[in-house]
Amino acid sequence: MTELMIETRNLTKKYKGARAVDALNLAIPQGEIYGFLGPNGAGKTTTIRMLLGLIRPSSGVVQIFGQDLKRDRIKILRRVGSLVEYPSYYGHLNAVENLETIRRVLDVPKARIDEVLHTVGLTKDAKRHVKGYSLGMKQRLGIAAALLGSPELLILDEPTNGLDPSGILEIRELIKKMPKEQGITVLVSSHLLSEVEQMASSVGIVNQGKMIFQDTISNLQRKAGSEIHIALSDAEAAMIIVREQGCFARLEEGKLIFKGIDNGQIARLVAALVDARHSIYRVEERRKSLEDLFLNMTASASGASMGGISQITGGHSGAPRGAGLPKEVAQ
Amino acid sequence: MTTWIAALRSERIKLGRSQVLLLAVFAPLLSVLIGLLSNMNNLGTGAEAWEGLLLVMAMFHAMFFLPMMTGIFSAFVCRYEHAGGGWKQILSLPVSRTALYMAKLLTVAGALALAQILFSIGLLVVGMVKGMDIGSVPWGVLGTRLLSGFIACLPLAALQLFVSTMWSSFAAPLVLNMIFTVPNILIANSATVGPYYPWVQPMLAMIPNSGGYDFGAFSLPLENLMVTVVGSFVLFLAAGLIYFVRKPV
Ligand SMILES: Nc1ncnc2c1ncn2[C@@H]1O[C@H](COP(=O)(O)OP(=O)(O)OP(=O)(O)O)[C@@H](O)[C@H]1O
Ligand SMILES: [Mg+2]
Repeated sequence: MTELMIETRNLTKKYKGARAVDALNLAIPQGEIYGFLGPNGAGKTTTIRMLLGLIRPSSGVVQIFGQDLKRDRIKILRRVGSLVEYPSYYGHLNAVENLETIRRVLDVPKARIDEVLHTVGLTKDAKRHVKGYSLGMKQRLGIAAALLGSPELLILDEPTNGLDPSGILEIRELIKKMPKEQGITVLVSSHLLSEVEQMASSVGIVNQGKMIFQDTISNLQRKAGSEIHIALSDAEAAMIIVREQGCFARLEEGKLIFKGIDNGQIARLVAALVDARHSIYRVEERRKSLEDLFLNMTASASGASMGGISQITGGHSGAPRGAGLPKEVAQ
Repeated sequence: MTTWIAALRSERIKLGRSQVLLLAVFAPLLSVLIGLLSNMNNLGTGAEAWEGLLLVMAMFHAMFFLPMMTGIFSAFVCRYEHAGGGWKQILSLPVSRTALYMAKLLTVAGALALAQILFSIGLLVVGMVKGMDIGSVPWGVLGTRLLSGFIACLPLAALQLFVSTMWSSFAAPLVLNMIFTVPNILIANSATVGPYYPWVQPMLAMIPNSGGYDFGAFSLPLENLMVTVVGSFVLFLAAGLIYFVRKPV
């Protein structure tokens, strides 16, 4: 395994006895885009604030670049760029002046300001007062500020918050380029699995302050598994043939749904169905969407408070981008 | 040390683009106006006249303008961080919280020093306009009073900065400052409370205790007052720093 850029051990933050972050063990290797995923109030922002030394952990250890955050905070922060929650800005200054306040502390060349403004597409508006910016433009300025010091580690808390679809796409492409072009490691939090799936290489899922899953995206996708859907003329009658073939199917909306079935079984089954003069309309593989998996995980972890969610079935892997989890639950 | 300077230079941009520094110009201008309009006939001659002019001009300046400006500047250096969520951004930068806090305090002190320097220039100008002899300026007395007036603002600056970092509202520390500035003239009458009251310290330090101002806290020797000033500065600065270094952001 490569060197860990971020490692936390039993990181815990208590607020009046309630654990906002509960014994969290993060492990983020170098060069990863780590998607830090969890529903609202899961403790993502609280964790990130502890990673940056903005708040003190109740207990536990944070190590960044293999150094102890408590001891080497300033040295570590020199190599970290961050954007926490909503963007910070000085409204009475323009974008260049805003970045200049940061540049003077970081002591990087002045040319970096133009570079990062170009990177986030703000060059045109660089001389306007930031208080007149739209939320999306402020968000871009926040990302520009995070990039200013050419960091080795980028910590972004919901960076696509408030951006329009093209803005989301842009920022996502930008983030995806980081490890490849500059070897930057990225921690990006989100409450949208579809978003994390599209840019992250590994993922940590938190719920109620606890880590419930941490692995690569591909392992998460494998875990999600897939189903074969067969649509045909008379599904009920077909169930008999299915049973004769030694398979188990679920009947749903005139379709047969199979789980964990291999190619040979499908081939034999389809042949048998055709022999029995069923008209087969379509045979398709549906990956159980990660949304479902995510919802199941978070629902089982939080019990009754998220009741009802686990009932939602049927893949909608093409869930609208930018829609929050609660919305998808309502659909 | 380099990060202190870096943080200070960063503060300068934020302050420079706002209009707040105009206060440091307008307040001395008002004092100049007061000086010009005053009746100088009974001020005497020579050094005595200069001290009299200082008394006339510093009265309002030290009793009201200096403490008000101290409160406003202190609130102002925290204003944009409170408003734009800037604390978490600035505190995620490689700068220690101590350096940042000191940079803000030095910025406040710098603005006050500007006001005091302009006041001093104004004092000389008014004197010359009034036909007073520049050769008879008691540099020692005037210099001591002007410098002491500035130094006596620093405990209040430390206190107001402490409050301003604690309260996310821009107005709250200003209201507090106003409430405690108003009774200055009464507090000055008390030789026991006066020296320890941060809002009246600039006045006690600046008003020459000759020319009739030898009652209440005015009668105390300047040295004693300055010891109290330095003591309270250290106290307020320490309290503010301890709070700020631990503040959750
Ligand atoms: N200063 C605080 N005082 C008390 N409770 C807090 C504080 N900050 C956070 N919490 C609690 O900690 C929990 C985690 O909050 P956090 O902001 O970390 O969630 P999040 O995962 O970032 O959520 P979101 O997706 O909504 O941004 C919440 O229950 C919140 O109420
Ligand atoms: Mg959050």
